[in-house]
Amino acid sequence: MSEFDSAGAVFTRRPKSLAALMEGSAEQARLWRPEELGAIFRHQMAAPVLVDLGGYDAGAAVRLKKLSDAQSLLLKSFSDLFLHPAPPAELLELTKSFAKANMDNAESALPNEVAAALYYTSIAAALVRLDRRISKLGDADLRRGLLWTREQPWLDDPTRELLLQAAEKISPPGGKGAGAP
Amino acid sequence: MSTDPPASSIFPRTDWAELGKAGEADEARLDRLIRAYWAPLRIFLVATFPSLKDQADLLLQDFAEDKILKKGWLQRADHNRGKFRDFLKTSLRNFVLDRLNRVEARRPPLSLDEMPREPAAAEGPSEEFDLTWLRTVLARTLREMEEDCKNPSADQPRRGQIWEMFRIRLLEPLLNDTAPPPYEELIGRFGLRSPTDASNLLLSAKRIFKAHLGRVIQDYAGQDAATAVEIQSLEEFISRLAKRE
Repeated sequence: MSEFDSAGAVFTRRPKSLAALMEGSAEQARLWRPEELGAIFRHQMAAPVLVDLGGYDAGAAVRLKKLSDAQSLLLKSFSDLFLHPAPPAELLELTKSFAKANMDNAESALPNEVAAALYYTSIAAALVRLDRRISKLGDADLRRGLLWTREQPWLDDPTRELLLQAAEKISPPGGKGAGAP
Repeated sequence: MSTDPPASSIFPRTDWAELGKAGEADEARLDRLIRAYWAPLRIFLVATFPSLKDQADLLLQDFAEDKILKKGWLQRADHNRGKFRDFLKTSLRNFVLDRLNRVEARRPPLSLDEMPREPAAAEGPSEEFDLTWLRTVLARTLREMEEDCKNPSADQPRRGQIWEMFRIRLLEPLLNDTAPPPYEELIGRFGLRSPTDASNLLLSAKRIFKAHLGRVIQDYAGQDAATAVEIQSLEEFISRLAKRE
């Protein structure tokens, strides 16, 4: 048994603590605190790409691993992927899909803010590094998303810079953007 | 006076061999339940009938043997499964009142002023009963979850880590009203490969807790629907109490 006797503790704690336990142990309760988003994002950027994407789409992950190995790409982490001068588009698209699936899922394992950052950063990397649009979002929505992500206080500087470059590649209303299809 | 149930069966005078096989299973289950929830029942009895404090254990034992084992009681309880707690309370209260009436009937008549007075059973005893009941349910849940997670034969990988994550991230901070360990600390402590990995560990813990809570409640509440209603009822009850603090 652990040092902390939780079963014994429930007999001595006030109703407020018991209510917090009932509430906090619900699956829909927020897993992480807002002030932890920075640490979670840094962890996400340092996480091995194939660990998360392999769990999300095993078939695609195997293909991508072969692709990465064949091209001798040092894609160990999401950070490596986004900062690579020529990242594989398919890997960026898979990352975007993984992030979107997490954004759309109320029981997502990723905080929505971090999933959104991953989503827009993958789009930004494709725009800036490959001059390619992997999103069907319109210019205004895409720019809004890129800039919203850039403003998150927990974001790191290289990602912030990448998002700014991507936003600048999108044409202002009425103009023509380099990344436009 | 102890709040613990008797160490042996609370039905010591029962001839189990005389009971049918199905009956035996039912009575054994009730024996287990009453023993598990002895403390809330005793609190309710003493709070409702303070003058019977010294006889509480004996009365509870009589209640368990004479009332619960009485033919038809279990069927009525099953019929009221969603309200098993209320059914127990009402049964116990009626049982004690019946005992008091019988004692009273054997005595010579008293004047009104001489009659012993019991305070009316109000919200107090009932709330105290429900709170102790909830504490008992949570304690059983946590004990069973910990044992389950630490069972080396369990086939789910990282089961031990799941309990540790639940304990240090949720249980201790919530029960001790302290800040949980920061996310960075968890990465090293559990060898987390990514935020998804971290969340999955915590989500698994919550699911295992929920499954055990459901199992503990289903033990007395019965079918899934009644269990769900009971969980909701306990959540609402504790939330109401917490708001009053």
